[in-house]
Amino acid sequence: MKTTSYNLIMSALYKGMKGERPPVGNPTSIACHGLMDLCGVNFPEAHLNPQAMAELALAGHEIVGFDTVMPEYSVHQEAAALGCRVDWGDRNRMPDSRHFPYEDFSDVTVPVDFLEKPPIRVLLDALSILRRHVGGKAAIIGKVMGPWTLSYHMAGTQNFLLHIGLDEKEKVNRMLRQLMPATMASARAQFQAGADIVVLADHATGNLVSPRHYEEFLLPIHKELTAAIEGPLILHVCGNCTDRLEMFADAGFDGYHFEWQVDAKTAFEKIGHRMCLVGNINNSEVLYQGTPEDVYKQARYAIDAGVDIIGPECAIPLSTPIENLKAIVSAVHEGY
Amino acid sequence: MNELLHNIREAVITRKRNEIQGLVSKAIEAGIEPGLIIDEGLIAAMDVVGQQFAENAIFVPEMLVSALTMKLGLDVVRPLLKAADQPSRGTIMMGTVKGDMHDIGKNLVNMMLEGAGFTVVDLGVDLTVETLMEEIEKGKPDLLGLSALLTTTMPEMERVIRELGEKGFRKHMKIMVGGAPVSKAFAEKIGADGHGADAGEAVALARRLIEG
Repeated sequence: MKTTSYNLIMSALYKGMKGERPPVGNPTSIACHGLMDLCGVNFPEAHLNPQAMAELALAGHEIVGFDTVMPEYSVHQEAAALGCRVDWGDRNRMPDSRHFPYEDFSDVTVPVDFLEKPPIRVLLDALSILRRHVGGKAAIIGKVMGPWTLSYHMAGTQNFLLHIGLDEKEKVNRMLRQLMPATMASARAQFQAGADIVVLADHATGNLVSPRHYEEFLLPIHKELTAAIEGPLILHVCGNCTDRLEMFADAGFDGYHFEWQVDAKTAFEKIGHRMCLVGNINNSEVLYQGTPEDVYKQARYAIDAGVDIIGPECAIPLSTPIENLKAIVSAVHEGY
Repeated sequence: MNELLHNIREAVITRKRNEIQGLVSKAIEAGIEPGLIIDEGLIAAMDVVGQQFAENAIFVPEMLVSALTMKLGLDVVRPLLKAADQPSRGTIMMGTVKGDMHDIGKNLVNMMLEGAGFTVVDLGVDLTVETLMEEIEKGKPDLLGLSALLTTTMPEMERVIRELGEKGFRKHMKIMVGGAPVSKAFAEKIGADGHGADAGEAVALARRLIEG
């Protein structure tokens, strides 16, 4: 197998042949001030303009040396297209929203022109630009929010979780089911626009809800989504999910992108033979506050544990030193 | 323990929100001191709930419903308290730093702090240093609690603490920090007075920082 970024990532995703070294990838954002300065693209342009979005993603591959390009830096593209008023932030601030259009759990309708709404269009166009630039060379990763995360955006996180606590099963299920078509449409369109892999982020995290709730509400929906979306999917769920890893594999995802709180060796023992593992270098202590040496050690730990694609655990802090991102690349270049 | 208080405690722990007000009324009718109903019934229950949460025996949805149940109970018994029976243990301002809209953790800590007898002023989310300074000047809290859920907003916490220090706001006020990515080591590094890993720890910390 040729040691190209694309080959290394795709082979690792399917747990195929190993190349000369493990690949380094970012299913979530590696945008930081250093990267913005190096390529001359800033937030919020990188959320709103397809060319800017693509250029910042390219910088991660061309300047830092990641084997992937991933152009979605926020978690709000679908929410905005579904009617949330999103504040797109600035150079120092990630986008966010305090507007929850379905707080009352009324029926959610996915607009017929959902894929043509600017927040989705910009992402699809950026993926196509990336395809023209690095198609077949670097792996192009798209990102879509799952129905659980979209429910947080539609109803408000606390409100949604309270309804789970109140055992309002019918309301919770209805909202999740009504949001599924948005996830499905966005993921499919991203593959058609040029993504090689799509990350499905659905934050039913161990820090918020029990594995029982994942099993009851989300597992059946995830099974349907993985069956309906043909392209390879990497699931991203933050936090400590050690207690539900097997269910993520049962759901049919090709990979799981996980945080440092899940020990890489434990993850490998539990599901390493069933799905590709992606991650899991700690953001807060190591990438943001640590030294390149600290990053190197964690990257080597992940490689030794059997993690297939090495990268940050989640979207990195904007003031993460770029040397620390490069330290991940240095660690993988030493090979297995 | 008195059976009525025991039932109140169990109702909060097991999230019987439809039964709590009846149980509290029954305890009042039986002549149990309102202060006792709060301390040994409702608040004692939330201590157990906080412990269960820390042990991953329950999660946020369950904790939210227990907190709601406690609040329903408090609504019945609070009006009966004489002012002298409920001296505030101190004023705590709570908020989430700029760029961060996440507030569940903060809200849970607020509920626990209120239950524990502190006066809590919730400043909300996405707070700039300027807003914080204005509010601190107005409210003169004993303690400021800062929250961040995202690793992307942790750096803001550091900036806030530095600026509050530079402007002399820390002379009469302690600062505690918390949130999923925030560790004890990070709290020390940025110069906070303390760190709570969960809502229960935050309450214990607030007691320590304010009461010494």
